[in-house]
Amino acid sequence: MRFSRKFFLLVLVLTLAALVGLQLTTAQDQAPIQIGVAVAQTSNVALLGQEQVIGAQIAEAFFNERGGVNGRPIQLVLQDTAGDEAGAINAFQTLISANVVGILGPTLSQQAFSADPLAEQAGVPVLAPSNTAKGIPEIGEFIARVSAPVAVVAPNAVAAALDINPDIKTVAVFYAQNDAFATSETGTFQETVTARGLTLLPVQTFQTTDTDFSAQITNVLPSNPELVIISGLAADGGNLVKQLRELGYTGLIIGGNGLNTSNVFPVCQALCDGIIIAQAYSYQADTEINRAFVEAYTAGQGKNPPQFSAQAFAGIQVFVEALTRLDNVIPLETLDVAQTRALLNAFILTGRYDTPLGTLTFTRDGEIIQAQFYVAQIDMADDGQTGQFVFIR
Amino acid sequence: MNDFINTYGFLIISLVLQAILALSMYLPLMAGQLSLATPGFYAIGGYVAAILSVRTFLPASGTTFPEPLQSFVLWLGTVFPATPQGQAFPVSLLLVEMLIAGVLCGLLAIIVGLPALRLRGIYLALATIAFVEIVRVVSLNLPITGGSIGIFGIPQPYPTKFEFAWIAVPFLVIVALFVYRLERVRVGRALVSLREDELAAAAMGINPTYHKVLAFTLGAVIAGACGALSAHFINTWNARQGTFDASILILAYVIIGGSRTWLGPIVGAFLLTALPEVLRGAADVQGIPTFLAQFLKDGRLIIFGLLIAFSTLFFPQGLITPNLFKRRGGSEGER
Repeated sequence: MRFSRKFFLLVLVLTLAALVGLQLTTAQDQAPIQIGVAVAQTSNVALLGQEQVIGAQIAEAFFNERGGVNGRPIQLVLQDTAGDEAGAINAFQTLISANVVGILGPTLSQQAFSADPLAEQAGVPVLAPSNTAKGIPEIGEFIARVSAPVAVVAPNAVAAALDINPDIKTVAVFYAQNDAFATSETGTFQETVTARGLTLLPVQTFQTTDTDFSAQITNVLPSNPELVIISGLAADGGNLVKQLRELGYTGLIIGGNGLNTSNVFPVCQALCDGIIIAQAYSYQADTEINRAFVEAYTAGQGKNPPQFSAQAFAGIQVFVEALTRLDNVIPLETLDVAQTRALLNAFILTGRYDTPLGTLTFTRDGEIIQAQFYVAQIDMADDGQTGQFVFIR
Repeated sequence: MNDFINTYGFLIISLVLQAILALSMYLPLMAGQLSLATPGFYAIGGYVAAILSVRTFLPASGTTFPEPLQSFVLWLGTVFPATPQGQAFPVSLLLVEMLIAGVLCGLLAIIVGLPALRLRGIYLALATIAFVEIVRVVSLNLPITGGSIGIFGIPQPYPTKFEFAWIAVPFLVIVALFVYRLERVRVGRALVSLREDELAAAAMGINPTYHKVLAFTLGAVIAGACGALSAHFINTWNARQGTFDASILILAYVIIGGSRTWLGPIVGAFLLTALPEVLRGAADVQGIPTFLAQFLKDGRLIIFGLLIAFSTLFFPQGLITPNLFKRRGGSEGER
């Protein structure tokens, strides 16, 4: 036993050492332009990360078919960040050492706060495909994002509700106290409601694990709210909608991003009808690039593309178009990696991009300026089992 | 060599920090207490460093705290001055943060440990999981800890991640030496005797509660100080750092590495932290067949899981056992 244990340890250590050694002697292939993609392909965030990988890969194929960067193809270098901060740093570090010109990622805002400073220090342009927290572009001059922050997207739903019913005076707000995103999202909703001069009833909290919301509903229903805003996840949010309707609420309902999924349909069934949800992307947007993207996505996945894939596509598109403009001014062959990265960052921030998300530009900080936001309303079929998101704005 | 440091510098320091955490969980285990509280103290330590260095303890502009607190907060603001952009965070202050985090976690461990350590086995594990959850939910809801987003923009004492070795490596060496010596002095033997048979140990005049709380508190101090260092190391701190997942991972370091000697947790932490990252690198090695590269890339966590399963099957006592050292005169006949 002692021998085999030592042998096992020895083999393990030697293998690790050999792998590290081999990795270092790996030569860098210069032919295609390499763009790093560091998103979560494993862990509990992988559902989002997978959609981002699909979006980025569609962009890779799409732009290479159209000649890449002035004839030179692009190549994605995928690195898994998993769901934690250390994983994001490791993935970024690997990509920075692999001499990619820029990085698309990471998936979570918390990961961005951890890994982005490394890219900033190394002078590598980063485009965040899904970081919506406050303060992401402010991490540094090399950090920009193609994902509009919650504070910009969410108010559109309130505006849409006021379009439908201009007589709204009183608003009830519910949120899931134990969910990170819901907690920050409800802050934005409450600010919007107050800023529009509406009366905000005492805010009601629940847990994502709750199933009975009658106490919270009874707290606000007697005040006759004309609008209810819910920030939670699919199961709890759906149940809350169902019970609101069953207890006699007839006004408009706005759902947060957590309810932005077809998973709510089986929960509240026919009662889901009419929930208003703000979106940063609409697959129905009628632009040439979006039609091409939706077609490619639907062909591969058999469903309409979600926001995460569209944002990842837009991120790669921004890289490709900025590289093309850079190449037109100074041929990329004449630049070393550090120069390419620095110039690419400047070109990214000064460009204007017609993406599936609509027209994008950036502030000098790297914050996205998105021309168009969308608001969808849930429309349930008569059987109460299937439904769809109908874009109303 | 420079390339190596650039690529793997972060990973190497991660190994060291995880090894320190593994040792902190090993300490209560030495006294036979299955405590999963380490990530809770680690999270608190990280928050101490993040709150002090980013100065989130200061009142929002225009507001003040009630008087004794207000003066204290303003005094704290002079001890931890704002770090200007681009300037390094003083290493001395980092050490002070680690000290504060360690002391705070130690005190908290005594308060939590006294009632919790009356529980045994799986019930203690559950109570400590509850502690980790409480820390997580509280930090998720407090403004001073930055809520769900956490605290970001933590100032850096060193320009590169690898230079954290100046603190992390001596820290590990001190902790390892401490545990190594502890195994060989009276208190340590008392802990081991509690692990082997609590009744017999108590009959021999060893105070079980005192020794259990001692081991628990020592582990908490180490975890807290390690958290303070980690907060600077990973740039940001949030409620996702101390979770149940982290508890299980650290427990795996100890179980896979070996829970009967101080070297076991260190080796376990090194192997389990390095393996997924090295497999990541292995996929990029030139000259290996495409299908193998693809498998290494997509399936690295499968390989990782298989290795854990195999090592527990074939080495149920962990990879490192005290028997390994016996031939080299390390045998002291202690168990």
